[in-house]
Amino acid sequence: MSGPTDPATYAEEELIRYLVDRRLTRREMLKRVTALGAAVALAPIVAACNAAATAAPSVAPSPSTPPSTAPSATPSPTPSPTPVPSPEGELFIYNWDAYIGDKTVSQFEETYKIRVKYDKFPDADTQMTTLRKDGKGGGYDVSYPASTEMPALIKDGVVLKLDKSLIPNAANLRPEWQNPAYDPGNQYSMPNYWWTTGFAWDPAKVKTNPSDWPALWDTSFKGHMGMLDDQREVFAVAGFRLGLSPNTTSEADLDQMLQLLEQQKPLLRKYTDDDIGDVTSGDLWISHAWSGDWYQMTADKPNTQYIVPASGAVRGNDTLVVLSGAPHPIAAQLWLNFNLDAKVSAANTNYIGYMGPNAAAEQYIDDAIKGDERLNPPQSILDKLVELLYLAPADLDKYTKRWNALRA
Amino acid sequence: MAAPSLPADAGIPASASLSRSIARASFIDRIAGLAFVLPGVAWLAIFFLAPLAIILVVSLGSRDAGGHITLAQPGLQNYLQATRAEYLPAFANSLRYAAVTTILSLAIGYPIAYWISRYGGRRKVLLLILVMLPFWTSYLIRTYAWMIVLRDNGVLNSLLQATGLTSEPITLLNTDFSVILGMTYGFLPFAILPMYVSIDRLDPHLVEAGRDLYSSGRAAFLHVTLPLTMPGIVAAALLTFIPAIGDYVTPDLLGGAQTTTIAKIIQVIFTSGRDWPYGSALGFLLMIVTLAGTLLALRTLRREVLA
Repeated sequence: MSGPTDPATYAEEELIRYLVDRRLTRREMLKRVTALGAAVALAPIVAACNAAATAAPSVAPSPSTPPSTAPSATPSPTPSPTPVPSPEGELFIYNWDAYIGDKTVSQFEETYKIRVKYDKFPDADTQMTTLRKDGKGGGYDVSYPASTEMPALIKDGVVLKLDKSLIPNAANLRPEWQNPAYDPGNQYSMPNYWWTTGFAWDPAKVKTNPSDWPALWDTSFKGHMGMLDDQREVFAVAGFRLGLSPNTTSEADLDQMLQLLEQQKPLLRKYTDDDIGDVTSGDLWISHAWSGDWYQMTADKPNTQYIVPASGAVRGNDTLVVLSGAPHPIAAQLWLNFNLDAKVSAANTNYIGYMGPNAAAEQYIDDAIKGDERLNPPQSILDKLVELLYLAPADLDKYTKRWNALRA
Repeated sequence: MAAPSLPADAGIPASASLSRSIARASFIDRIAGLAFVLPGVAWLAIFFLAPLAIILVVSLGSRDAGGHITLAQPGLQNYLQATRAEYLPAFANSLRYAAVTTILSLAIGYPIAYWISRYGGRRKVLLLILVMLPFWTSYLIRTYAWMIVLRDNGVLNSLLQATGLTSEPITLLNTDFSVILGMTYGFLPFAILPMYVSIDRLDPHLVEAGRDLYSSGRAAFLHVTLPLTMPGIVAAALLTFIPAIGDYVTPDLLGGAQTTTIAKIIQVIFTSGRDWPYGSALGFLLMIVTLAGTLLALRTLRREVLA
């Protein structure tokens, strides 16, 4: 699956990958459809949509820091250590789409002369299914699992124990990220981005200036509201409304949450796996959303608002891991180190709006991101945030059973 | 009696050698036949029966504490809890979408097939190619194109508002309407083609004979054309209904919070729920239900219509 693909099918494969991608925006879709030549049939539609779409020229929302051609390409704090095994010539990465600086991959390729094959997954469930199908990463070197998954991935031997001598940039991590509960001592993973899950809205349609979760039960937005297509996140919202833990495994708690969500369902337009596209296209006026996704919405629809709700919200982070079956483990750890470089890390954040755990990167992050409470919340908000924890299969079943009952 | 003796004696060895050569030919034929059939059988065995067997085996298993599939205590427990009442609305949605899609595909497809066959003339092939034309683009892309058309600020709503027919966007996407539209659009060619074959094979003289016997055009159609093309209609209905009931892509992309299908439920069990044994059992059960329903429908049809 990770082998070289012949060029004829490559274009189509790439396109399909983009299509199933949750981060696909309408404009990107149009670009690709046009590129394929389906434009012949779609020409009038494409024209209409392009005309209708806002004038912003690209999805990339960071005009301020021009990512210099090679921002400290060589890892800065490396005092030429003991002879390092030379990296392999290739690297297979498995990540979300649009989840990294636009130049990060090409800079890495140029700096280390390593060819990167970069595959994308549409949602976290697909990612886990792929990484676990052979129990050691499905042929990939590097992936970006959510921290929630780490305890199980470590226990099941899906991820490789890191050789810290290859990752000197780990020293750039903030103290609070040096020893996370999901992976004490960062032995198997490096923290990547962190976010909050709140809700976003279009102030032209939603004029109530909402500040808390009940806004997503407001009947005046019936048919124009969305929740994320993510069972843990959705039940967490009901938990915050009811004052229950988003990590509860009590059947009684979950029944209460389900009841509240059943009341909400008739008001919803969809459980979305494309919060960015659905809000910017105008289909959803108000939607459960991730903080960085909101930042990307503002590229298409600058007035879009976002809030970390007053009664609490989920704080999540994801990680960079090397998979236990990695064909190129040295290159993979080189990639981890490269992404922890101050300037590379900042370029990643500046491109997609998700904050990183990198103290050294802080000075290079755009003020628009680091100064925005919604992307970089103050301590008073951080205190209200809750992390989703890993659930054992029997406990996860309690959620899935109710999630399916809700959806059906 | 001086008639020349028939070479009766010669006939015996001749016919023996003939039957030998026939036997040899039929042996070669059989080998050749096997050789022709083998790739198909192999294909079916490797890509259909083997995966099916894997699903069946997994569906009898369970998960250990770490969530890994285990066959330690194989049994029917997954099947016993498969028929949960709370999944019924999703199953009902699947049935409803498949039924409406099939009816619409037949209703729209039959006149098209009829017209191409009877009035297509020299352009028949071209018209059939036009029917197939959508297949030249991936179904996924075409479904995304429908999203662009149906969105609140999409092509259709823009047209409606530009022409003054509506003042506010109508919610078209993420509804029953968009799901059925997308599915009917997707399955229509599968309905047209078998019906076309059936109509095209129908001898027009039979219809003329009916007209000669003073039947009205309508009566000739109802009593001659329709019954004689029924095999095509049945094939079209099956080719539409069976994939439609398990369709996942269309309802997922064009549907919304109120349009969940059984395929989505199974997908959630596999992915978010990570319960492959249970998901396999549900998938297998859906297949059996579809198969049984199809066989039952075919038998009834054969007895009542095709007899």
